[in-house]
Amino acid sequence: MNDGGLENRKEHGKSQKQSKSSKFNSKSDDFALAIAKVAVAQVCESVGFQSFQHSALQTLSDIIVRYIYSIGKTANINANLAGRVEANVFDVLQRLEELGSGLGFAGASDADRCVVNSGIVRDIVHFVGEADDFQFAYDVPQFPVVKEWKETGSFWEKGEEPPGKHIPNWLPVFPDPETYAARTSEGNETMSVLNGEKSELASFETKLEWSLLNLQQRFACNGNEGGSSHDGGDAVRAREAAESNPYLAAPLHFGEKEVEVSPVVLPVKLSNEVALKNIVSENCIVGNHVSVLETFAPAIEAMKSGFCDSENRQKKVLHNQRPMVHFKIETGKKSLGSATNV
Amino acid sequence: MNHNPQSGDGKHDDDTALSDFLASLMEYTPTIPDELVEHYLAKSGVQCPDVRLIRLVAVATQKFVAEVASDALQHCKARQASVIKDKRDKQQKDKRLILTMEDLSKSLREYGVNVKHQEYFADSPSTGIDPASRDE
Repeated sequence: MNDGGLENRKEHGKSQKQSKSSKFNSKSDDFALAIAKVAVAQVCESVGFQSFQHSALQTLSDIIVRYIYSIGKTANINANLAGRVEANVFDVLQRLEELGSGLGFAGASDADRCVVNSGIVRDIVHFVGEADDFQFAYDVPQFPVVKEWKETGSFWEKGEEPPGKHIPNWLPVFPDPETYAARTSEGNETMSVLNGEKSELASFETKLEWSLLNLQQRFACNGNEGGSSHDGGDAVRAREAAESNPYLAAPLHFGEKEVEVSPVVLPVKLSNEVALKNIVSENCIVGNHVSVLETFAPAIEAMKSGFCDSENRQKKVLHNQRPMVHFKIETGKKSLGSATNV
Repeated sequence: MNHNPQSGDGKHDDDTALSDFLASLMEYTPTIPDELVEHYLAKSGVQCPDVRLIRLVAVATQKFVAEVASDALQHCKARQASVIKDKRDKQQKDKRLILTMEDLSKSLREYGVNVKHQEYFADSPSTGIDPASRDE
């Protein structure tokens, strides 16, 4: 069918705007209404129309949608009235008789008739018999699409231990640490961009670094897993997350050398970043791997605050670490500046 | 139709008539797609796993649309026929059958739907005419 050209498009849009408030014209229903329009247009064509006004087509499609809706609603009411949940054919036929009662149909006055013999059913049979099949022009997919709900499962279902004793095991498991670890790395990246590192070279470098760092983290995580197998997978994951995110590090107990530890944890990360930068330029992955393990060792040890044997070593490592941290920070800023200059 | 609901035979006949009727619906493919009907039936609160029921609604709806449209077609033809003869020659060109709001609201009124044609909402008078013929 010919829809009369472009001029109607505008009016079409206008009329859609006007009828936005209607229940059947909500935005989610656009697809269904469009299908109804095509179907109505096809029926009109089969009747003998050659063309249509947009307003008329819209009105008619709106009416058939309401027709279907009212059939369903009243059929449901009829079913509920009879004490059923699912509507059956009698409820629908009852409603069709009600809808046809305005025009009247054969046998409407006979109260004791079977539904099948009513004029409505005979009309439908007649219609089915004489009308030609007009297949709908398009393949209609099943809609609306309902996404399948994927449950994460609780700690208990997955057989994991919750990371803390205060978390009951019927709660859903935490997402993979990689997800929030990735987010922090992104955040750092944007931060570094904010710092003025906007040249393509530099950003490429940081990307490379972070991918490398993730790799290193995985290596480091695996290495630690061998050493502390009694911790279980979750603890390792948590530590891995803590490695990449200083905010996820285990909280220090009150009075536990926070002056010594807290200034170190953050610089370790920074120094690691800088060290990585230097090493990336050298393309020395094995050396990098070792350096990450070394640089993360104090942080990991610091998090395991319960272990007393780590204290001496920690101190030693911290003493070793501190001058390096200062040094690296300074060079880091310089290298960043030089990167932007280059 | 001479049936007796009291007798067992009559009931049996009704049963077979009903199942035959529903089976005949399955053979017919309505233009209104099942998915559309299913969507709006689900929206109105009907739970029906039975495809035949959806078909019944689809066929009934299509019958309704076809009746309204054929009534509108008659209105359209009658309007075109009532044009005075000398004018008719002029309008021979655009004597196409166009579904207009005017005819539609007339035919819908018979079915109990009162459509008020918005007077200010004017479809273009050249609606439905081929763009090629419009230029002439």
